[in-house]
Amino acid sequence: VRRPARRGAAVLAALLLAACGTPAPPSRPVTLVFEHSHVFGPRDPLPDLVRRFEAAHPGVAVVSEELPANTDDAHQLYVINLEGRTAGFDVMMLDVIWIPEFARAGWLLDLSGAVPPEELGAHFPAAVAPATWGGRVWALPWTMNTGVLYYRADLLAKYGLPPPATWQALADDVRRIRAGERDPRLDGYLWQGKQYEGMMVNVAEALWGAGTELLGPDGRVFPDPARAAEALAWQRSLLTGGVSPAWVTAADEELTRRAFGDGHAIFLRNWPYALDLFERPGSPVRGRVGIAPLPGRTPATAGIGATGGSHLAVSARTRHPEAAVALARFLTGEAAQRAMTGAFYPTRRLLYHDPALIREHPALPALYRLMLAARPRPITPSYLLVSSALQPDVSAVLVGLRAPDRALADARRRVDYFLASRR
Amino acid sequence: MTRPPRPLTPRQRADRRRAWVLAAPALAMLALLTVYPGLWVLWLSLHDRIPTFGIDRFVGLRHYAFLAGDARFLEAGRTTLVFAAASVALELVLGVAVAAALARQRRGRRLAFSLLLLAWAMPAVVTAKIFEWLYHPAAGLVNFVLGTRLNWLGDPRLALPAVILADVWRTMPFVAVLAYARLLGIPPELYEAARVDGAGALATFTRVTLPLLRRVRLIALLFRTLDALRAFDVMFVLTGGGPANATETLTLYAYRAIFQMAQFGFGSAVGVIVFALVMLAAWAYLRLLPSDEAAA
Repeated sequence: VRRPARRGAAVLAALLLAACGTPAPPSRPVTLVFEHSHVFGPRDPLPDLVRRFEAAHPGVAVVSEELPANTDDAHQLYVINLEGRTAGFDVMMLDVIWIPEFARAGWLLDLSGAVPPEELGAHFPAAVAPATWGGRVWALPWTMNTGVLYYRADLLAKYGLPPPATWQALADDVRRIRAGERDPRLDGYLWQGKQYEGMMVNVAEALWGAGTELLGPDGRVFPDPARAAEALAWQRSLLTGGVSPAWVTAADEELTRRAFGDGHAIFLRNWPYALDLFERPGSPVRGRVGIAPLPGRTPATAGIGATGGSHLAVSARTRHPEAAVALARFLTGEAAQRAMTGAFYPTRRLLYHDPALIREHPALPALYRLMLAARPRPITPSYLLVSSALQPDVSAVLVGLRAPDRALADARRRVDYFLASRR
Repeated sequence: MTRPPRPLTPRQRADRRRAWVLAAPALAMLALLTVYPGLWVLWLSLHDRIPTFGIDRFVGLRHYAFLAGDARFLEAGRTTLVFAAASVALELVLGVAVAAALARQRRGRRLAFSLLLLAWAMPAVVTAKIFEWLYHPAAGLVNFVLGTRLNWLGDPRLALPAVILADVWRTMPFVAVLAYARLLGIPPELYEAARVDGAGALATFTRVTLPLLRRVRLIALLFRTLDALRAFDVMFVLTGGGPANATETLTLYAYRAIFQMAQFGFGSAVGVIVFALVMLAAWAYLRLLPSDEAAA
């Protein structure tokens, strides 16, 4: 009876030790802790890049720490550690929407002196803008993302249709193809309507498509309420008109990516990462997927995707600012971004014209145009506050519980209350 | 009930002192890990504290005043109460039923017991992920079995019941195990006596089994209610509180306010209200508990 108990205790002790002890720090004078999320895909280029950096910087060791996979959890981890002033990390991977918030809080090292302006000029403007909030450099662009319209090239060709440039064309295409295919399992247009940040990305894109935006120059939400209501009404009409299936109101990126990847949809809004998965051997839609700019209310307002992606910043409390800045610059540099292309899409524009890379990733030229036209979500330290405060009302519009104009008015009032306490 | 105080012997006094000394480490831990953070959150809730803006000022009860008229907060409170009441009621009924079935089972009892514990041992996040697929509108097992194409997690009327079912599946085994343990302790003579008296299966269950489970039911009720009032993980993963906030509980609202909106003071005020709610429920149950000491 005793022995299992003792064995259990030994296992517990071993687990505790494993949990407490990060691998023994290398005996180098400078150890940098690098927070980043897990790199999915067939091969992770990061360990190799880190080794190259260490080889070029004798005396500097880099310890990688993985962030939680869920972006909300990662944000929470940063907020707790940075607010608790216990931050045990030097270089941090940041979601593009957190940069102004963390910079405003004084958690990031000002890189303005260390990074020459022309170095930033090599990246897409939509990635640089959030990183240079308030006229200072807070982070270096690392990976790039933007909203893409995926379409079933085989189906569109069958009916002689070009990729739709307008909302109306998209809805018409869906009706025409579904009427012709007579496949009850074939859905029209998939996007992300679950109540979370991904929904707000879709809303931001709809607002640009309607010729307005989420946050006006004066910092107020929905500067053009009439057009904003029009954008939300369009998203709602996709569901009521059968262009999108009802379950879109519970869908995130992966749910929609799988459904489209299984061949059950004609159109999909998603990030570029889905492309490689669609073209994987054995994929039901392999060789049958095209990418295009997102449609707009009119052709003039079409083609604006929201940017995602990540940046590298240096903690304001680092004890090794020089080495940390060097690591961030190395990893966001051209050689490192070239090595990472495939696992991620680069923020450096030049790489999209590189013949060797294009041979490996034929979509790069098409993605280049989309990323050049892409826009960041509102660049403000209060972005997450605004987004969190708006999500319930926006979701209520999408599921048809509330009319767009009423919901928008309520949302505006609530955001104003919270923003007032920040002045 | 109250006994007249008797003078203590020196020995009893020494025992009491020793008891305090022995309990001191545990009390100190409790104070450090529970009372101190609790008071800190209470203090924080009287402030406007927004670390990202360097704002930290005393605002008294302003957050509470705002909450009194905040539709989102009131809705979250309603959702929390509906969730707690429905999930705990279902867990109790199903848990006792499962325990009774298990106690009657002759073969495979061990296997059934293990399967039951599996659901309870699973982390809530894993359970939620499983249910996300079960509820999948096109490929999910639930719709397949029912022959429907219901939009479980995307329809504001269905989302809360769907979340409740996932939670019941996960926590019902806790009630079942408690009740099962109590059932094993019921002397067989009682059932024999019932049989001799001519009681049928139903009468035996309602007149013998259920009354003997009263105490266990109250304990399960206490634990599960306190847990359900603080529900967070299942809805966090399954629905994120949506659609249209139909599944946002108070704890989820507090989490969003603190960690996403970075409104530490405001979020703490929501947390304090959850704490008060839980304490109120605990107090109510504990008043119920000792009164039936004789019954168990």
